[in-house]
Amino acid sequence: MKNTILYILLGLFVCTNLYAQDEESADVVEKDKPVRFAWESGMLIDQQTAQIPTVKTLEMVIQHKFGPIDNGSTDLWGIYAPAGNIRLGLNYVVANNVQIGWGISRRNMYNDFNAKWTIFEQTRKNQVPVFVTVYANAAIDGMNRDDIELYNFEEPGQKFDFGFSNRLSYSAQLIIGRKVTNALSVQGAVSFSHANFVPQWHDHDRVGLHFNGRLKVSPQGAIIFNYDVPLQIDGISEQHPDWNSTNTPGWDGPYHPEPNLSFGYEVSTSTHAFQIYMGNSQAMLLQDMMINNNTGIDFDNFAIGFTITRLWSF
Amino acid sequence: MKKYRNLLTLSVVVFVGSLLLSFVTVQDKKEPAPWDVPEKYVKMENPYAGDESLDRVGKILYIKHCRSCHGNNGEGDGPKAASMKTKIHSFTSEAFKKQADGVIYYQSIIGRDEMPNYESKIPEEEDRWALVNYIKTLK
Repeated sequence: MKNTILYILLGLFVCTNLYAQDEESADVVEKDKPVRFAWESGMLIDQQTAQIPTVKTLEMVIQHKFGPIDNGSTDLWGIYAPAGNIRLGLNYVVANNVQIGWGISRRNMYNDFNAKWTIFEQTRKNQVPVFVTVYANAAIDGMNRDDIELYNFEEPGQKFDFGFSNRLSYSAQLIIGRKVTNALSVQGAVSFSHANFVPQWHDHDRVGLHFNGRLKVSPQGAIIFNYDVPLQIDGISEQHPDWNSTNTPGWDGPYHPEPNLSFGYEVSTSTHAFQIYMGNSQAMLLQDMMINNNTGIDFDNFAIGFTITRLWSF
Repeated sequence: MKKYRNLLTLSVVVFVGSLLLSFVTVQDKKEPAPWDVPEKYVKMENPYAGDESLDRVGKILYIKHCRSCHGNNGEGDGPKAASMKTKIHSFTSEAFKKQADGVIYYQSIIGRDEMPNYESKIPEEEDRWALVNYIKTLK
């Protein structure tokens, strides 16, 4: 028994020494640098990438979605259509790989405040194999909601007004990305979205999965895609499985937001990235897309859109 | 009839005027003044000279940041060159190539006047030298 303990202690001692040697040699190893040219812009259609420009860079984001193409030449495939969405945003890089931003959208007259932090960058020698990024967004609905009165279920018959807190919605996203080859970069992400106010019978919370990527086809051009899936998780759903039109008056069936598919082409220069695409959701904010998108992946729902980013360095 | 004659006269005046104006713009491009490169850059050694592993990086950076003014082959004939007030000289000339690498680094990265500063857009030294190496290969 004594011998066994002695051997274990000896083994631990040897291992400790080996570990110490590894640490010393690690100090000598040259620091691995982040991979180059994984993404051309911090935006990929209407989602985020791991890319954050250098410190003290101001980025302007112009996003536009026209109306759906379903009316064909009547409204020039949605270009003349009154529907559509526009978002103008400004992002500023306050520290290395940390960016804050503000934007306004036409849909629901949102004001959104967001922050993005790329915690880890994929490195050239694979010491860090992936990009890890977190993104968070808080939005204020600016529409006139005077016509909405909320029922107070605790005191039947009483109503209270649509207050400021009802205008707030939030989302948070964890993004894992990798530059697979010089041409191909991909990302997967999971998000959680919450809206303080949703239409009756709808869920306030939604978990979503996101997949997007870029395939370079020329030095400045790339094919891009985006796929966002709102998940139906019974554990966090407020839609009771026993609901039906008999025991729940006014209930008109389960509501589940639709996924979003977008695909397009990106052209980038020194200070600009220009992306033209088609997608089936009119939403641009993450929480709006995850909670409110009711236009499914149907050819008639697709709309032409573009995203432009412009950088200024200070 | 008189109305149409006036319209025709106006069109001719606008056309000829535009044509003449285009010649004036070209003639107005000024010759760049000699570069005043600090001693530090003149003496700077290129630590990546001859590093072929950076060829692709240099080419991508050139296409992304330089091509719109300097053109595909560095002749100064990119699509944005016409709107510049200063004449853009060719990278393929002997006069350009015989400059020290540090001088080309200064001209490319630090810049002056219409030549923008690229220190924040190309933050890594390795990438900057990759660009310098690529510019020197243009023929």
